[in-house]
Amino acid sequence: MNEDRKKILEMLAAGKISVEEAEKLLSALSSSQPDSQGELSGKSAPKYLRVLVEPGPKSEVQDRVNVRVPLKLIRAGLKWAAFIPKHAQGTVNQALQEKGIELDFTKIKPEDIEEIVTQLNDLTVDVEGKEKVRVFCE
Amino acid sequence: MIPLIMRLRIQGSGKGFRLLFPVVLLWILVLALMIVLLPFLLIGVLFTWRRGPGPALLAIYPLLFSVLFSLSGLHFEFENAKNRIFMSFT
Repeated sequence: MNEDRKKILEMLAAGKISVEEAEKLLSALSSSQPDSQGELSGKSAPKYLRVLVEPGPKSEVQDRVNVRVPLKLIRAGLKWAAFIPKHAQGTVNQALQEKGIELDFTKIKPEDIEEIVTQLNDLTVDVEGKEKVRVFCE
Repeated sequence: MIPLIMRLRIQGSGKGFRLLFPVVLLWILVLALMIVLLPFLLIGVLFTWRRGPGPALLAIYPLLFSVLFSLSGLHFEFENAKNRIFMSFT
């Protein structure tokens, strides 16, 4: 039992506070508890991007892939994009447009890269077909 | 932290292969090579500062270090019916 809750009940038992007052105190305590518990059990920032490929129940091929890439490495690797020559960036843009992705590769800034990696934290991809593919951060 | 050990395990239908390689030795060689190449890089930066990749070249060493220091924790595992390849940096 929570220490504060115990004290309130003891005060009630000793007649120091009324039932209404005890109820108010307990409700105030319970409303403040989820926040503090959330802080304690709050997820720490993920460190790795995990890719798991496992054969499905009907799969004939029994290939398995288990890759764990540190997010720091992704961040560092993406910074090398600055070294891609201008003409190659144009080719990348063209290839993206052919796939229906309207993105100007040349306009990606370091802040955008940071944003991309930060957003990866919430990424979870589950695909179940012949193979079971899971992509997530941990 | 920079990875100190690389574990490599290859298992095939025949005999397997296991390697526990202290990559820290490799980093020492890389560092030595980087020191040797530094003057050439600086000359390259000077010549290409105005029209070329000069400023970007200056970022090569910090970027290389950031990649090396981020390798720790990298883990690959591939497996099929016949072969299994495992590699990790710790």
